[in-house]
Amino acid sequence: MTTTRKLLVVTDLATTFNTNAGPVPAVGGVSFDLGENETLGIVGESGSGKTVLSRTIMGLQPLTNVTVTGSALVNGFEVVGASEKEKRQIWGTEVAMVFQDPMTSLNPVMRIGKQIDETLRVRLGMDRAAAKTRAIELLELVGIPSPAERYSAYPGQLSGGMRQRVVIATALACSPKLLLADEPTTGLDVTIQAQILNLLDELKQRMKMSVILVTHDLGVVATRTSRIIVMYAGRIVETGTTREVFFNHRMPYTRALLESSPKVSNHSHTRLTTIPGRPPNLLQLAKGCSFAPRCAYATERCHEERPELREAVERGHMFACWNPLTADRELTQ
Amino acid sequence: MSNNLPMMGDLGGQGLFAVEEATLSERAEKNEPLGFLFWLCVGWIGLNVVGAILANVLPLQNPLFEDYNAINVGPGLHHLFGTDDLGRDIFARVVYGSRVSIAVGVGAMIIGFGIGAPLGMLAAYRRGRFDTALTTFMYVLLAFPAIIATIAVLSFWTPRALTKIIIVIGLASVPLVYRVIRTATLNVATKDYIIAAKVQGATDRRILLKELLPNIAPIAVSFLLIGIATVITLEGALAFLGLSVNPPTPSWGNMINEARTVLAQNPWLVIFPSLALCLFLLCLNFIGDRLRTHFDVTEVKL
Repeated sequence: MTTTRKLLVVTDLATTFNTNAGPVPAVGGVSFDLGENETLGIVGESGSGKTVLSRTIMGLQPLTNVTVTGSALVNGFEVVGASEKEKRQIWGTEVAMVFQDPMTSLNPVMRIGKQIDETLRVRLGMDRAAAKTRAIELLELVGIPSPAERYSAYPGQLSGGMRQRVVIATALACSPKLLLADEPTTGLDVTIQAQILNLLDELKQRMKMSVILVTHDLGVVATRTSRIIVMYAGRIVETGTTREVFFNHRMPYTRALLESSPKVSNHSHTRLTTIPGRPPNLLQLAKGCSFAPRCAYATERCHEERPELREAVERGHMFACWNPLTADRELTQ
Repeated sequence: MSNNLPMMGDLGGQGLFAVEEATLSERAEKNEPLGFLFWLCVGWIGLNVVGAILANVLPLQNPLFEDYNAINVGPGLHHLFGTDDLGRDIFARVVYGSRVSIAVGVGAMIIGFGIGAPLGMLAAYRRGRFDTALTTFMYVLLAFPAIIATIAVLSFWTPRALTKIIIVIGLASVPLVYRVIRTATLNVATKDYIIAAKVQGATDRRILLKELLPNIAPIAVSFLLIGIATVITLEGALAFLGLSVNPPTPSWGNMINEARTVLAQNPWLVIFPSLALCLFLLCLNFIGDRLRTHFDVTEVKL
């Protein structure tokens, strides 16, 4: 499926926050890659490091008290260690980001059209008129009705869904090759969520981008991604094609995540399965598997030794678990 | 704000969708007018400023001319506000006196904002060591009472002149402006749209001027007006202590100071400059306050 050139290659990427209480490995050594025109889902609970991971790939960290090691190559550009000035070369044109909350990701005192054309004029050197035309086109592209009129609206005059469309239009202004969407639908109504996701999907086809969809909602990634990465405590615990992860997962955490999303087919008043315990304190990570304390299948080995990612029998499917749910042997038959 | 309340009620069961359907023009109408009192205040300030600028051209009596035939005359047709103990026309002196007050107020705030505002924005945007060092330094300055510092400097920096007073008060206001602007910027600088602008490839300069500045402008403007009022009060206090412009040049402050000695014989002498000062400050404060609530941006109104 991903025979094309790799657009994003992440190798052993780690982001550590140096707090007064000690180092917090928010992302602890993550490797994956992403081909052109591919959609990758990154899932995990709150605090699993998915947002920090996406921001690290973007090259967005606070200036102080953060250590980033490893490598993240965006279309050949090394993000780790690059200066802000260097990163400005790829921001917008190679990689762009859609933020979680459309209420805060647009400047409330700037007309929405201006926010799009600013980028066009600064980055692509368009003149005023051309930028305006293009901005209106972009607004139309993301499905904003009467774009010419909305061009001069303020964000406060638009609903959440409309704003998120504007945010997407802004991100797409310079036709980035990679779009990072960090929980793009979390701040929206359920009815709008599907619209926004469909829009992203459609735009991805049209603009030939790759998309990374960061979310805690497995429903969001189920039909729209080709591959999924499941994160826990800053590490990848399972990765594979969406199909494999949903139907053939090996990691008990993945199962727990899947089981804890409500299903329409459930009888009413079915108690929702939850994962017992809470995500580990990143300050005091155990030497074994981070999920072991909450895992029903945990053995002594799980507490003593950390499982590394290993290949399952299917190509491209990897998991980090000593006691995988399905034995590989059975599957080969 | 209160205008929005009935609208919220109207929504009833339609919830969010009704908000979405409201057209742009409807939304524009929702903006509360600034109100009559606001424009009255603006008018008064305008009148004072025009008076101060055009004092030479206006048909006023010479504020320095001592008419010994009309000493301590009450308000009347010939002398609108009466005359002081040296026979000088109080009306002319009040108008000329506004020059000093307004010049000090505006001048000092230009210096205060000119230095304090860019530093405050930069510190809040850059953060890190630069911010820590600068903020600590400013807080140390703030801990020292500004009035004592100004009195001390002005006492030794002789001969006194308007420009010196402006410079000293202006510098003394820098930490205050810095603190307000820094805090305002800090609130905005951490918002997603600033990060969004950054990852769109906007330069720092652009972010500071185009993204941050418009967001803090309402706060800055209202603080500027209230700052001018505060500085004028400070000038009044300095004048009262005899540390402002040298007599016989009138200023509201030194007029009140001089009138002190003849308060029993001629109370008009203290009433008019005090009234002028008081009204001017009241209007400035009201305008500043009104603007702040008026521009209190967007989200709240939804």
